[in-house]
Amino acid sequence: MKVIVSRSGGIAGIRVTWEVQVDEQPDAPSWRELLDSLPWGQAEETAPEPDRYVYRIRCAPHEVVLPEPQVAGPWKDLVDRVRAVNEGR
Amino acid sequence: MKATARCTIVPPYLLVRLARLDDPRFAAAAEAARQSLLRDIPLREHRAAAHPLPPALAVRAGAARQRGRIDRSIWDAVGLERLPGRLLARAEGWPPTSDPAVNEAHDGLGETHTLFWTRFARDSIDDRGMPLEASVHYGRKYDNAFWDGERMVFGDGDGQVFNRFTLSLTVIGHELTHGVTQHTANLTYAGQSGAVNESMSDVFGSLVEQHARGQTTAEASWLIGEGLFTEQVQGVALRSMKAPGTAYNDDVLGKDPQPGSMAGYIDTEDDNGGVHLNSGIPNRAFYLVAEALGGNAWEAPGQIWYDTLTGGALGRRVDFAGFARATEAAAAARFGPGSREHAAVRSAWHEVGLGLSLPARAPSE
Ligand SMILES: [Zn+2]
Repeated sequence: MKVIVSRSGGIAGIRVTWEVQVDEQPDAPSWRELLDSLPWGQAEETAPEPDRYVYRIRCAPHEVVLPEPQVAGPWKDLVDRVRAVNEGR
Repeated sequence: MKATARCTIVPPYLLVRLARLDDPRFAAAAEAARQSLLRDIPLREHRAAAHPLPPALAVRAGAARQRGRIDRSIWDAVGLERLPGRLLARAEGWPPTSDPAVNEAHDGLGETHTLFWTRFARDSIDDRGMPLEASVHYGRKYDNAFWDGERMVFGDGDGQVFNRFTLSLTVIGHELTHGVTQHTANLTYAGQSGAVNESMSDVFGSLVEQHARGQTTAEASWLIGEGLFTEQVQGVALRSMKAPGTAYNDDVLGKDPQPGSMAGYIDTEDDNGGVHLNSGIPNRAFYLVAEALGGNAWEAPGQIWYDTLTGGALGRRVDFAGFARATEAAAAARFGPGSREHAAVRSAWHEVGLGLSLPARAPSE
């Protein structure tokens, strides 16, 4: 099971992608728990704000596109964890 | 407002300093300070209480304020993602502070206001003297700057790829122009209208810098965000209006992806449909108009783009071809059909693949 977070937009318009192989993580069960708890498919359509990031989060079969202000709560936890693994923190 | 009396041992200025600490050894103290700041009373009231208008002035302000008077407020978000921020760091008439980000934001708002007021007689973002607000030190190592619908917001950068975002005057002008666009053509921030919105911000962001430095088209860099990258990055800026696609080429960031003509148009779902990518096409068209006319770009070229943005003829979802037609109409209206300016606009769009005599190669979507 793989989680892919890609962040596009921002004033720089530079796309960054982070990936995590969930099964290879020492805390895989807690990753699965977090992934299961996410409100996939419940993202609201909101008007984009200039220069804010856009996040695309994929974990088959799920995929969601969230503007930065909506990346809160469990979504923010997930993005922070994925980044932390990729940045070796 | 009811404020509960509390015993506070740490004075607020010290909390602010603690909250900003980046040293991992003090991470707990910094977090505690941030939490403590968050619990405090709302700030709007602080601001009003700290700087009440003298009664006579307040009355006059209500009756007839003087057009073109600037009113800036710079807030310090102290590393939190809350707006406007924890502290009013500098208001209009206050002296410079010891914080370069605060002073850069203050001065940048001033230069932007000056361009719009002195060159286009626009009185602030809404043309009705709207106070200008900026928040600095937003988030932790936050690599971005944005316009939230009411104010511009600047991160400090991570220090490895990005420096603080107030370093570039073009970025400050870019953000404020998003406010002007919101109050005028209100271009939908997606797809081609979103790329036109982005390009407007780059155009006027660049003009703010050129105007402040007194640079002609030939002297200007035409770069957006020069100096934002640290020395570790192979690149000079975020974008080049003169030569889209050449601003950076770095082993970590990759190559600047901006196209400079319709032949390189990027179809993507990312970035609200590539608004920061395809903006290279109208950006280069503006540069080509400026190059053809010579002299100061904020004069005829800037006037034509300003007339187009504010003239009321642009649809919210205008595409590139519609925008090109609107700039031609604006040039003809102000300088006359067949004028040098009108011809320069026609030829610029032709050069980026949006000439009216040729069918524009429409994107597949
Ligand atoms: Zn922008």
